[in-house]
Amino acid sequence: MLNRTSFSAFAALSVCALVLAACAAPTQPAAPAQPTQPPAPAQPTEPPAPPAQPTEPAADSGVVVVPVGSKIRIGGSFALTGPIPDPGKDIRQGAEIAIDDANAAGGVNGFLLELVAEDGACSGDQGTVVGNKFAADPTIVAVTGGTCSGETFGLKPILQRARIPFVSPSATNPAVTSEDCDVCNRVALSDALQGQVDAEFVYNELGFRKVAVMHDSSDYGKGVAEIFRDAFVKLGGEVVAFEGAKVGDTDFRAPLTKIGVSQPELIFFGGYATEAALIAQQMKEVAGLEKTKFMGTDGAYTQQYLDTAGSAAEGTFMSYVAGDTQADKLSVFKEKYVAKFGIEPEKLGPFHAQSYDSVLLIVEAIKKVAKTDSAGNLRIEREALIKAIRGTKDLPGITGTLTCSPIGECGAGGVQVFTVENGAFKQVFGFGLR
Amino acid sequence: MVATSQAHRWGTLRRREQALRWTARAVGLLIVAALLARAVSVSISENYPLTFWVSQLVNGLVLGGVYALVALGYTLVYGILLMINFAHGEVMMVGGVAGFFGLQIASSLGWLSGATAALGLLFVLLVGMVVAALTGVTLERVAYRPLRGAPRLVPLISAIGASLFLQYSVLLIFGVRPMSYQRPALIADGVRLGPVFVPYTGLIIFITSLLLMGALVAIVQYTRLGRAMRAVATDKEAAALMGVDVNQVIAFTFLLGSALAGAAGVMLGFHNSVIKFNSGFIPGLKAFTAAVLGGIGNIPGAMVGALVLGIAESIGPSALGIPAEYRDIIAFSVLVLVLIFRPAGLLGEVAVEKRA
Repeated sequence: MLNRTSFSAFAALSVCALVLAACAAPTQPAAPAQPTQPPAPAQPTEPPAPPAQPTEPAADSGVVVVPVGSKIRIGGSFALTGPIPDPGKDIRQGAEIAIDDANAAGGVNGFLLELVAEDGACSGDQGTVVGNKFAADPTIVAVTGGTCSGETFGLKPILQRARIPFVSPSATNPAVTSEDCDVCNRVALSDALQGQVDAEFVYNELGFRKVAVMHDSSDYGKGVAEIFRDAFVKLGGEVVAFEGAKVGDTDFRAPLTKIGVSQPELIFFGGYATEAALIAQQMKEVAGLEKTKFMGTDGAYTQQYLDTAGSAAEGTFMSYVAGDTQADKLSVFKEKYVAKFGIEPEKLGPFHAQSYDSVLLIVEAIKKVAKTDSAGNLRIEREALIKAIRGTKDLPGITGTLTCSPIGECGAGGVQVFTVENGAFKQVFGFGLR
Repeated sequence: MVATSQAHRWGTLRRREQALRWTARAVGLLIVAALLARAVSVSISENYPLTFWVSQLVNGLVLGGVYALVALGYTLVYGILLMINFAHGEVMMVGGVAGFFGLQIASSLGWLSGATAALGLLFVLLVGMVVAALTGVTLERVAYRPLRGAPRLVPLISAIGASLFLQYSVLLIFGVRPMSYQRPALIADGVRLGPVFVPYTGLIIFITSLLLMGALVAIVQYTRLGRAMRAVATDKEAAALMGVDVNQVIAFTFLLGSALAGAAGVMLGFHNSVIKFNSGFIPGLKAFTAAVLGGIGNIPGAMVGALVLGIAESIGPSALGIPAEYRDIIAFSVLVLVLIFRPAGLLGEVAVEKRA
């Protein structure tokens, strides 16, 4: 017998269940950052927390032993699915070139290196999954990644407990590194800088005083949007709206219509390429935004933004946390990259050089601490490796001379601002502009 | 003695159920009143111009039009089979992906400029509809027909499996990168009604959804096949005994619903520019919500539910003064509130107990 009332209740429940399931899907916004870090530095020998995982013998947990004939395994968390698959792939391929180079140069004490690539999907949920996988694998020495900030927030507490150091090539949220995390490092520059420079560009260079700010609710997008908002207000400008959307949204007309009422001179968007392109397109349809400019951030600084936005991209602005790029090294890198993968790295994303340098930083630190024992096995002490990575000084990389600060900011370079002209990015402001 | 205590127990239960229902309604009324008060205070304090509300209404009607095209398929299948085809949103996505390739073919052959532009667009739409229809019919044949005699939850699970299968097939075959529809010049612009701008794509979505709904009602009410559909909906076995080919009617139902979903996928592609493997998930969920909201199994109900949902989503955040990222919460809250007062949905028949 069919009872409509109970069916309705069932239907409502199914919807709820599916919505919850959606939160676990890779395209959903990342989980919030863990505000409280476990006091791991005080208890360095604490085994990995998840009880279901095999815990290694306490005596060996502080040392990775690579048997003769095996490879040194470096984990990689890359956003291969999710909102920015192209940049994620680019970052993985950059890391592979770095591994190839290290192996061609003889590896570490004769031991070759191997990249263990996992899909961090640009989400906190998936970052947690990848983190647990690495923590449960006693052969993982260090990790390069994550690609996105939310993903890295998923990795951070787990790797901190497991005493596995990581270097992110591209996670820019300021909280990726922190004073209480000795395993957290990055080559990319922090959004604390990007948001500030963007605000100065809009206020001083463009001379705008009234802007609206949008974000995609991801840790990265909302983070950089908030920094921009605060910096712009501090400069004396007015932020007329602060509107959110979600990663994966495709219709932004409702929030844009709301923003159109106050007729801002510019819309600043913190988020990734597809959403940025759709906003740039759809704002042309909204009353009050006919003359409004659009500005995005490094998450949208990709070929995919140009492809999706089409003619709507013309005249929009995009900022990027650029390295202090060494042209000669970059051209050698690009030659190898094109030879191996058959595509120019810039067609996929902007962070390939940072990714190369992340791996380089890890490999150089391993070289400093790795010792061969009497049986010919390679021994890498985890605590020593963590200190060696943090102690990196004057390492010549593609993105400049890398020196890690006491909290793990290892990158060199500055923020650049581009505009789109004839379907291509052209730098108009910021670091390295001649 | 036993009989009277039994009767007494049933009476208590009924009274309890009544009390519960009235409590739910009272709570619902309170929530509605609070929301209305909030909306009034926000609209006074924010002082939005009238054109703002009109623009948001237009946004909502277009969004509702997309939901409607998908919701019609849900409601049609439910009406016949009493089954929720949770893969329906994915059928829409497949239509959108097929339309994308149709668009590439049409533009490389130069059909989208000059005199043939309208025909070229029709071709893209047809490609999307045909591929979606084939997908829907195949799905019915492979995933649902073998389970027709099974308990109701079984085909539901099968549908969720089919949904994941379609999503990840598209992911594996075409990759994660979103496919971007480039609007041809013919529909790139829009109509300007004073300060309110209506993009042509939005206009097309709304009008097409109305036309297709009309056509659907006409088919179901006035054709031979429609009569057969209604007969199967009422009683499959009896219809079969009267000479109706039940399998054929059900396949036709899937064909019809999936073609509509394919049209929705293509139009959504033109309107919002991108389609990718999971583009059907959230619209499918919303369309299902719309179908339940309007009274599932009821064709005009699906349309009304979809428009109500679309308008609530676009106007809701501004009217209630909450951030736009919470619009999904508004959509599902509307569903809960409507179900408190009308458990069978806005246009649904109350407590029809069809099957013994």
